[in-house]
Amino acid sequence: MNVVDATDRAEAHEDLEPPSLLTIILDTNPHAWALLGDSLPLSKAVANLLVFINAHLAINYANRVAVIASHAERAAWLYPTPAHARKQETQMNGSVSNSHAQNGEGRGGAVQPPDDANKYRPFAQMEYAFMDNLRKLMDSTTTEAIQSSPSTMLAGALTRALAYISKQTSTVPTTTTNAQFNYSDPSSVAGGNDLNNDPTSNQTTQGLTSRVLIVSVSGDLADKYIEIMNSIFACQRLSIPIDILKLAGDPVFLQQAADTTGGIYMSLSTPQARAGLLQYLMFAYLPDQTARDHLIMPGEDGTCLLCGSHLSMANYGQKPAVVPRKKKGKKKRIADSGVDTPGSGSGTPIPV
Amino acid sequence: MVSRPKDRVQARWEEAANRNWELQEGADGSIEGVLGGLEEAGKRKRLLKDTTPLQRGIIRHTLLVLDLSTAMNEKDLRPTRHLLTIKYTIMFVREFFEQNPISQLGILGMREGLAIRVSDMSGNPNDHISALKILRGTEPKGNPSLQNALDMARAALYHTPSHGTREVVIILGALLSSDPGDIHDTIKACIRDRIRVRIIGLAAQMHICAEICRKTNGGDENYYDVAIDEVDYKQQLMAITTPPVLRVTDADSSDTQGKNQSALLMMGFPSRIVEEKATLCACHGNLTRGGYLCSRCKAKVCNLPATCPTCDLTLILSTHLARSYHHLFPLRNWSEVSWSRARTKGTTQCYGCLSSFPAVPKQHEVANGTEHDQGAAKTKRAEGASESSRYECEACGDHFCIDCDVFCHEVVHNCPGCQSTVPADISEKTNGD
Repeated sequence: MNVVDATDRAEAHEDLEPPSLLTIILDTNPHAWALLGDSLPLSKAVANLLVFINAHLAINYANRVAVIASHAERAAWLYPTPAHARKQETQMNGSVSNSHAQNGEGRGGAVQPPDDANKYRPFAQMEYAFMDNLRKLMDSTTTEAIQSSPSTMLAGALTRALAYISKQTSTVPTTTTNAQFNYSDPSSVAGGNDLNNDPTSNQTTQGLTSRVLIVSVSGDLADKYIEIMNSIFACQRLSIPIDILKLAGDPVFLQQAADTTGGIYMSLSTPQARAGLLQYLMFAYLPDQTARDHLIMPGEDGTCLLCGSHLSMANYGQKPAVVPRKKKGKKKRIADSGVDTPGSGSGTPIPV
Repeated sequence: MVSRPKDRVQARWEEAANRNWELQEGADGSIEGVLGGLEEAGKRKRLLKDTTPLQRGIIRHTLLVLDLSTAMNEKDLRPTRHLLTIKYTIMFVREFFEQNPISQLGILGMREGLAIRVSDMSGNPNDHISALKILRGTEPKGNPSLQNALDMARAALYHTPSHGTREVVIILGALLSSDPGDIHDTIKACIRDRIRVRIIGLAAQMHICAEICRKTNGGDENYYDVAIDEVDYKQQLMAITTPPVLRVTDADSSDTQGKNQSALLMMGFPSRIVEEKATLCACHGNLTRGGYLCSRCKAKVCNLPATCPTCDLTLILSTHLARSYHHLFPLRNWSEVSWSRARTKGTTQCYGCLSSFPAVPKQHEVANGTEHDQGAAKTKRAEGASESSRYECEACGDHFCIDCDVFCHEVVHNCPGCQSTVPADISEKTNGD
């Protein structure tokens, strides 16, 4: 519109936080989850993850999410739902009209969640599509497939996540054109974004900031070393941090990924730590890149996220006394309203 | 005077020119038919490269020779040749060390008939960049001398180990070379020392440049080119950051110097340590709380890659080596997909990014289509672009959009399809190789 009538509209100068795309790679390797069954079954982890995703969607209305399962023998989309899966569904149901499948365009919109007036619609759509696809993925897993490959398809999941991110980023309009590394433009170079050597120029981006979160349970990934390294370097070039949440397995490899790309690495190796999965997700992984500039991020030594003081894992969830509280009143109100009204999160699997 | 024939063949420089005014609209007034896929074809043109795995020289010793003569004051490249060269050279240095983390680079200049040293051979990009920034304030002067530059480069590369490559990259703005002696002797000496010379001209072709490049590259004529504009200049410069293919002659000459020496190279892979109290590092003498311990002598260095200051061991991280893997195992090119192929596969979405493809036309529409319609459909897409906007990886058979094609080949160097499924026959032929 702005181009057509050459007017300068107010939206162009919005001073909002840029929307962020969170891509979660969930390692669904059945072997590894079976080993974790006592302390953290997959269903519980998924319930925690859904709360986390909802929180991400709630922070900014323009935030987006994508979930990819890195399964034993293939990598598959959990959200948004790919077209062929949707088509099968419409054929089975026979009732959903064709226009949905065409309009959906990879938003998972065509998979109709049950109507619930009390639930925020994006939550409902995401949850329904996610759970539905995960169930289908598990149902379609054959014993032979599990036996043949004890590992997980992390390289494929990462590559697909990156392809998706690059496409999403290129379709989002930006007010500053050169902010993102444009790989298809011959006049740009990797790592050479800062041609004018102006570090502040990136701050004005209104485009999509993306990050990848890998929830990993499998150990050995050595057979895909080159492919995973390729993806990691691509992330580094595009300045996409890879956050790692390691629930089990050998840490060396993914630690490198987080270190190279500037993401957060945390390993929950004890059952006690795994019990606090949601807290870890919310505290360590919820802030996006813009917020992370102002926070002290957790390191290997269990530093407090807010004040940087050392904490043992036992009192991790407590509020440190020295943190300045800016909006005391607002915080209280939210806490109150959460108790009485049926929140928009009703129906979400409750992490217990 | 012989008059020019009227229907003369298009000159080479004219071929690349795009004649927008000759575009014809279709009957319905759309120019999509004419432009169809021009953009996609352009994107793909850069992609379609040779993907045979080759032995490449990852440890490079490169000297960059910049022309600092009066010819660089020309303003045909904006703002001037000199300033643009410095700007691009800074980008080149960054990209070079990104692609070749264990290589060494040095920069020379040609000014007033002499060769001057801008920065010494070093593996640290910041040394070069700061030297280049100082150079920005100086004025180009006098004539260049190719012979002096080559002689100095030869001397600088003389002591480099035989397992690495020895390369000289010359950026030449002038159309002359004022040499003190016979340059052909210098060329012969360069060939003897296994030095490969590449020249990027900024003005016009020069015979002596072509000869230098041809002779030092074993008869290959692709190493000399003239940049036609800023974009072309940058592309040519950036193309040099890709590690060069090792030639048979390189292997032969290193054989004579000892087989074991060239085949294996001693390196240390230290791991990072975090200390309670700050200690001095061996490389700068600064107090730091972390660093890497040399695997042989336990000296602490702050940054990798580095050469251990105590025992001269090359210290790198495995990630530095892994950065070069995609040069060694390139991703196979994807092929265009015809409508009939798209119909049999029935793909509606890009496998990588889930964006929708244009729908496959109905079978009877194509069958009933008149002759000229089919002809139009054929000429509709530019060379290299797929008529169905789909691109197929031949290893896994999945279809991708043009953006994913470019992205996967230029950035990730992985095929999303091959990586996401276990190949039917468990062979090692993954990643489209």
